[in-house]
Formats: sequence, structure tokens, C-alpha cells
Amino acid sequence: MQAVQPAPRRAPGISFPQLGMLTGERWLVGSHMVVALIALSFGLLLGPFQAFRRAPAFMEAFPQWEMPVFSYYYQALSIHGVMNALYFTTFFIVGFSYFVVQRSLERPLWNVRMAWVAFFSMFIGLGLVLYALLTNQASVLYTFYPPMIAHPSFYIGLVLLVVGTWLVTANILITYRGWRRDHPGERVPLAVYGTIANFVMWTVATVGVAIEILFMLLPASLGWIVNSDPQTARVLFWFFGHPLVYFWLLPAYVSWYTMLPKQTNSRLFSDPLGRIAFLMLMIFSVPVGVHHLFSDPGVSNVMKAVHTVFTFVVVIPSFLTAFNIGAVLERAGRQRGARSPLGWLARQDWGNPVVAAQISGMILFVAGGFSGLIHASLTLNIALHNTAWVVAHFHMTLAGAVILTFMSVLYWMIPLIRGRALWSRRAALAQVYTWLIGMLIFGHGMGAAGIAGSPRRTDMGAAAYVNPEAAFYLNSSAIGGLFLLISSILFFVNMIGTLAFSDQPVQEDAPIGTTGDPSSPLILERWGIWLGVILLLALFAWGPVLVEALDFVQGFTSPFYQPDIPVPLPFE
Amino acid sequence: MHIDELERYWLIAVSVALGAFGAALLASVFIFRVQLPSPVARIDPAEINESAFAEPGLKDMGDNTYAALFVAQMWAFTPGEIRLPKGADVTFFVVSRDISHGFFIEQHNVNLMLLPGQIASATTRFNRPGTYRIICHEFCGPGHQNMVATIIVEDTEQSTAEEAAAE
Ligand code: HEM
Ligand SMILES: [Cu+2]
Ligand SMILES: [Cu+2]
Repeated sequence: MQAVQPAPRRAPGISFPQLGMLTGERWLVGSHMVVALIALSFGLLLGPFQAFRRAPAFMEAFPQWEMPVFSYYYQALSIHGVMNALYFTTFFIVGFSYFVVQRSLERPLWNVRMAWVAFFSMFIGLGLVLYALLTNQASVLYTFYPPMIAHPSFYIGLVLLVVGTWLVTANILITYRGWRRDHPGERVPLAVYGTIANFVMWTVATVGVAIEILFMLLPASLGWIVNSDPQTARVLFWFFGHPLVYFWLLPAYVSWYTMLPKQTNSRLFSDPLGRIAFLMLMIFSVPVGVHHLFSDPGVSNVMKAVHTVFTFVVVIPSFLTAFNIGAVLERAGRQRGARSPLGWLARQDWGNPVVAAQISGMILFVAGGFSGLIHASLTLNIALHNTAWVVAHFHMTLAGAVILTFMSVLYWMIPLIRGRALWSRRAALAQVYTWLIGMLIFGHGMGAAGIAGSPRRTDMGAAAYVNPEAAFYLNSSAIGGLFLLISSILFFVNMIGTLAFSDQPVQEDAPIGTTGDPSSPLILERWGIWLGVILLLALFAWGPVLVEALDFVQGFTSPFYQPDIPVPLPFE
Repeated sequence: MHIDELERYWLIAVSVALGAFGAALLASVFIFRVQLPSPVARIDPAEINESAFAEPGLKDMGDNTYAALFVAQMWAFTPGEIRLPKGADVTFFVVSRDISHGFFIEQHNVNLMLLPGQIASATTRFNRPGTYRIICHEFCGPGHQNMVATIIVEDTEQSTAEEAAAE
């Protein structure tokens, strides 16, 4: 046994007000959320019009009709992808993570000034990217593959976004280290565990896209280099791309694991298995990205098979989550009086938008998750790669499960930020259900159109061909788009109403837990070990792919192009 | 660490199911040889005109097998149309002259990314006569949605005669 241990030096813990926020917290979290909403308003409202533009019946009825504001379809689609998937998500996740970390650890962020530096880096980045997008100088879609080249401000803006998030990672990790020093032997609250896993994963992954931007795209847009290699670029992008989708998903899981139990008066079934799920998602998000490259000519079958196997492994934590969250909902349903074996499924708090949004998201996630298993099966992928099926998949997962959960968070968090109750619970409920129905119709329609061969990322309203087998489903997905348009408007009206017009006091407190389950193994928090595992897996799973893509004999030979001019850059 | 008994069963069931899926896939690739695009050769986009792709089109390799060479560029495929007899075995070789494109045969089993610098290839058979569309399914600029070519599979005398003989 050890001699007397010095009492741990505890930082002055901060206590947070009930039904309110501290001033500094309000500004920091509030700024991230408001900017997230602004980014979302640029992206979200274009979505339904894309669905209309792709529907033959709609274009027959209005042959002259074009996308609103941005008549060029691919400009609108670039804005939709970049604003929704890159900027809304990142601002939301950073703001949410700051909130979760401070509240759960009951301590301030390590360095608030650095948090603001990160915010302004990302914010200026947003401005630069918007400038390029709105002036039609970055209509290269949110994947911005070379040899297509956009205005330099687009890439500088993206770099500022990524650099900002690296500062966020540092801030969160150092805050955690301080907590750890003061709480030796304790388990970090699960919400913080998930948040750390998320930012570690993100920071490793962004190295790929940072190399792509800094060594290929940005110098090309400035005219400093003339050649690239598209296969290498796609390898670097998708090293980042799959962790990117988990970067969106993990905060939603944080809400399901740690907030939903409180919001439904239930209890989490197993905290340690929640940690295992987060850890597995963090580690196995790395060796799977080649499943986006199944149709690429420069990646061998062997590496495609290796990444397929890991893709099946990374499904396990989601099934773990299904069990754990299913048990939470079962307890909640039984407490509400459910008796029959499956009666609890129906006996949920459907009248509470915060709960209903998350359960609706889960319903969509079941459909979206299985659709993903299908096209992750490399041989089925031949039928589905780059078709509307893929759009169906990520609208049920990202625009379904993740976004509905983020909306659920906003429905309780914006009132805390503003110090006023949600403007209208009924509008929020209507929003959730129109979203659920709309996304189910949209997802089914796009999925079926994809099976019939309708390509994604295509302005069908102007296409030189029609696919009669897909027509019906493209039309039905436009009907889904109509529901989603109504839902989106309801959402923004409610957000503006809460920020500007609500005069009732806040009713719902933040669903935060401040303790971790002491039965969970401490090794799960040895982040250094897990980081080492990730790096080894990255080397093993991506090293061969990168070596195969790089041409050591000829080097890079593909010149760059502006998307609308079929003549290579630089122009004479 | 405590794991609930039910949850353990669930985990085992899930792992077994996923393992079976994975095994089926690996079998489809390595035993049944379902083909995914895989590296054929590289080509410098500037040297396409000095290569076999200088004259794209259909090459008859005898025995109802063909090689079909295509060049993709903003925003057309060359050739824009090929004609094949029913039952033909075709190996496509496709390159891009400028940026990334796609090569997707609607309602068939060919789905290729065309990346400048790489030759993409796939082999398939056309058993059903009719018109097939080749679609560019990777965004390639404002003309992307017009980038199509056609494959016409003809129900020729010869192939019907052959079929009759086979039966
Ligand atoms: C109002 C609901 C929405 C509708 C009706 C909608 C509709 C669409 C449609 C029709 C496309 C495919 C266009 C094409 O491939 O030609 C698309 C693409 C996309 N959407 Fe949505 N969307 C909605 C919400 C969202 C949300 C909330 C997100 C993410 C947070 C999102 C992210 C994306 C992304 C990343 C793409 C891919 C863009 C690309 O291929 O470059 N969407 N959306
Ligand atoms: Cu992925
Ligand atoms: Cu195209």
C-alpha cells in the first residue's frame, strides 16, 4: 500500500445555473449555434428544389422552371452539400461539444480565448467559402475532387475550418487532462468520452484532406502547380471522408446515450458498452474509407476486400447502440404503462418534440443503416455506386438520424441560450413528423430510382435522357421533398421565433450527467494506446492504397480544369 | 466489466450474421470472381492520341468477344454509339482525356470511375437485345447531364442461329 496521498488539487469547480447559462457559455455556445443555423439556412432550403428539378412530372408541368436564386443546378448542389454537411454540422458539433464538456466536467474550458480564435478561424472560413460559392466560382460540389479547380478562397476557407477544429481538439483534450489530474481513478462522464473519441478521430482523419488541399488544390488554384493525380486525391479525400460521417454521427449518439435517458425518465442500460461503441467507432472509422472507391480503377481488389471486412466490423458498435438505446426506450415505454412484449415501442413520449425527434431519427437510421450495409457489399455496389441510392442512404442517416437529433438538441438548447422557452412546441412536433414522413418518402423514392439506374449529382431537369423505370420514384421523392420543404420552414420559423419573439420562461433543463460508471474499465481511457492503434491501422489499411495510387515513374500528369471550360489550365 | 447475458447473445448473433455476410462477399470476389474494377495500366492524358485510344471504338477479337475502347471528355463519349450482336462478351477499356467522369451502363453490371491517368476496365456480356445507355455518373461540369452514349445489342441472324444450334 502507498503512503498518504496528497489530496488532489481541485480546480475551483463551476456550478451552472438551472434553466439558464453562464454569460461566457451563452456567448460561446450561442455563437456557434447561430452560425450553424445561418449555414443551414443556405443549404437546407435548396434541397427540396433539387428534388423537384429531378422529378420528370414537375419538369413536364413547368418546363422553363429553374432552381430558385441559383439557376445553375450544380451551384445550388454545391451550396447544399458544403453548407449542410460541412459547415452546419461542424459549427453545431463544436458548440455542442463545448457545452457537453464544460457541463459534464463542471469546469471551464482550458482556454476560452483559444476557443474564440478557433471560432473566428472557422467563421472567416465560412465567409470565404460562401463568397466563392455564391459567385459561382466553386461549383465543384462538396467533395471538390481535382482536376476540377475552384477559386482559392474556397480552399483557404476550408483550411481555416479544419485548423479551427484542430484548436477545438486541443482545447477539449487539455480540459480533459486537467479534469483527469483532479479526479484520478474516476471515469469520465460518458458524454465526454464520446466527445473525446469524436475529436481524436476527426483530427487524425483531417490530416488526409489537409494534405490534399495544401499540396494539390490550393497551390493549383493559385497557379503554382499545373498537375495532380485524381486517384491519389480521392484516396486522400476518403481517408478523411468516412471518419467525417462518423464525426456527424457521434454527437447524435452522445445525445442518445446520455441525454435521451434523462429526457424519457429512463436509465442507460450499460455505460461501459456505450464506451466500447464509441471506441470502436473511433478506431474502425479509419480502415474502411475504400468502400467509397469500389469503382475506382486505381485501387486493387485486395484492398477493396480488406476495407469491406472492416466495414462490417464497424457496423457492430451501431448494433450495440441499438441494443442499449432499445433498452432505454423499453424502460421508458414500460414506465408509461406498456404491458405487451413490444407495446413499449408505441408507448413513447410522442408529444415531446425533443424525444420524438430522436426516435424519428432512429427509425430513419434503421432504414438508412441497412441501405448502407447493402451498398457496402462490394459486389452489390456495382449496381448502386453514384446512383440516387446513395443519396437515399445518406439522407436517412445524415439528414435523418443525425439532423433530427441535432434539431432535438436545438429545441432545448436554443431556449437555454436565449433564456426563453421554445416558441412553439406544436410547430416543433409538426416539424418532426413532416420530416420523418418526408424523409421516408424521399428515401424510398431515391433508393428505388437508384436501383432503376438514375445517377446522382445530375441535373435531370436538363438531362439528355429519361429513364422511364426511374420516373415514378423520382416523382415520389419530389413529394417527399415537399414535406421536407414545409418541415424546414417550420424549423426556421420556430428558431427565429424562439430567438426573437418568445416571452415564456425556459422550461427544460440541460440533460447533462456529471459522473461516469465506475465499473467501466479504465483502459478505455488510455487515449495514447488507442491513438497508436489507429495509426497502425491507418498505416496497414491505407499505406498500400496510397502507394498503389502514386505513380513513382511518371509523377503527377493530369492538368487542372475549371469546371465549365474544357481546356486545361493555365490558359495561354 | 459486466455484460448482460441478453446483450451477449445479441452481440454473438450480430457478429455471426455480419461474419456470414462478409464471408459471402469474399467468396463472391475470390471464388466466384465477381469483378470489381482494378488496376489495368496508367496513361498520361497528354499521350492518349499516341496510344491505342487514338482510334477508340469496337474491336472484334473473334468468337463473339470484343474489346470496346472509349474516350471520355467534357461532355461526350467517343464513340457515341456501338453495335453488338446478342450474347457478345465485351471488355471495355475507358480513359478520360480531361477530368473525372463516370461510365455507368444503365440496368447492367458495369460501373466505372474514369480518372485521368488511369485506364478503367470491365468485362460483361449482353444477353438481352435492346438499347443500353452509358451514362456519365460523376459530376463533370455544366454539360454533365448530357454525357451519354448508347450500346445497341442486335438480335442478329447469326446469333439466333447459333443459339438454335446450341439447343
Ligand atoms: C429538406 C430536406 C432535404 C432535401 C429535400 C434534400 C434533397 C437532396 C437531393 C435531391 C440531393 C441530390 C441531388 C443530386 O444528386 O443531384 C441532395 C444531395 C445532398 N444532400 Fe440533401 N436534402 C435535404 C436535406 C439535407 C440535409 C439536412 C443534409 C445534411 C446535413 C443534406 C446533405 C446533402 C449532401 C451532402 C448531398 C450530396 C451533394 C453532392 O452529391 O455533392 N441534405 N439533397
Ligand atoms: Cu464511408
Ligand atoms: Cu459527368
